[in-house]
Amino acid sequence: MEVVARCDARGRTTLPIVRASGQLAVRRTGAASVHLVATAFGPLGGDDVEIRLVVEAGARLSVHSVAAAVVLPARGESPPSWQLVRAEVAGVLQLAPEPTVVTARADHRAELHAQLADGGELTATEQVLLGRVGEEPGRWTGTTRVERDGRPLVHTTVGLGPGAPAWLPPVAPRAYVSTVSTGGGQREVATGVDAVRLPLPGGWVGTAWGDELHDAVTRLASVSPRPVDELAEVTR
Amino acid sequence: MTAALLTLADSRLPAGGHTHSGGVEQAIAAGVLADPGSLAVFLRRRLATSGAVAAGLAAAACRAVDDADPVAALGALDAEADARTPSPALRAASRQQGRGLVRVGSRAWPHPAWAALPAQPHHPLALGVAAATGGLTPRDAAHAAAYLSISGPATAAQRLLAMDPITVAAVTARLAPEVDEVADASAEDLPAATDPLLDLLAELHAARNDRFFAS
Repeated sequence: MEVVARCDARGRTTLPIVRASGQLAVRRTGAASVHLVATAFGPLGGDDVEIRLVVEAGARLSVHSVAAAVVLPARGESPPSWQLVRAEVAGVLQLAPEPTVVTARADHRAELHAQLADGGELTATEQVLLGRVGEEPGRWTGTTRVERDGRPLVHTTVGLGPGAPAWLPPVAPRAYVSTVSTGGGQREVATGVDAVRLPLPGGWVGTAWGDELHDAVTRLASVSPRPVDELAEVTR
Repeated sequence: MTAALLTLADSRLPAGGHTHSGGVEQAIAAGVLADPGSLAVFLRRRLATSGAVAAGLAAAACRAVDDADPVAALGALDAEADARTPSPALRAASRQQGRGLVRVGSRAWPHPAWAALPAQPHHPLALGVAAATGGLTPRDAAHAAAYLSISGPATAAQRLLAMDPITVAAVTARLAPEVDEVADASAEDLPAATDPLLDLLAELHAARNDRFFAS
């Protein structure tokens, strides 16, 4: 899947490339926004999706999805499913998909590799729920690497679910949310109940967890410098 | 295995590690660490995240000593360490221990590579350079880093909870296969495993003014 956002001569964002194949379709839902639509059940174990996002200087792009992604295991010994997002950002990119629900026995790997040019801004939010109601949790591993001019700003991998080495009782939450934001100004440390915000060069990263997704979302909001609505406003 | 590796991993090496609890002091305050069972869980968690990251960086720093441009190579690794350690409290703890190790290591194993390190380097970088200048391999550096990621915190737990030293030694020793596994898996790579719980505990701890340990 690929989306390119460009700034035209009058300073407005156009989307000269919006294309997808396989398990994802992509729909233009605004002058500078797209929604991802799953064309099939899943992702399923063994699925492999790559999303390329290019936001050129002066352009804005906001990427959403229409519904939660429910990750299901393949039959038998299920291999992991992969989603790799590669972003090149000289403008402003907001990534705000709906939650990922990882069902029992499923193992999902999500990677975000973002390269920011000077002046590039990125806000990426991730919401994860392990298991549907009354179900055993699945496994989720998320890696985020953001570079500016080739220099790493943040590079972290979080592993959740049974068997993940840092997911051990008494702190083994079913719900996890995280926002990484760079380019909008550095924010200092903030702490809350099961929530922490840390500074990044020119930005911040916030993380929260809990038993339920709505708890984790509320906790992340408690340490986030701006309400999420305002972030949406920025990219409109 | 050489005596240099034992020296590097020895808690009596005066590099300042004894003033850091690796999150243990705050984990006790938060109620997630109270007895030998929860200590083992906490150490396993730490080993798999900050231990793996430290092992990868230490091995890479050991290799960087032989790089054509060790200043650039170690500078790039210091940036990778920062990127893997967004918590200011954890960064400060790592750099304090790095500085302490440079002080003793550069006297113990004099070598031009010490001058190639950035000022106040992250601890795993200093450890990697110490390993290289002590005649050890990148894999040795990874093993020292992985072991140190749990040995200091285990001792801190013993002191803070007045735990039986033999029990704590047994908990640590039983983790040896996992220490080796993490070190071997990290020695050729730069893992980025992180534990948001440890970030939160580190920042809560840094904000306290009634703490015994620096981290």
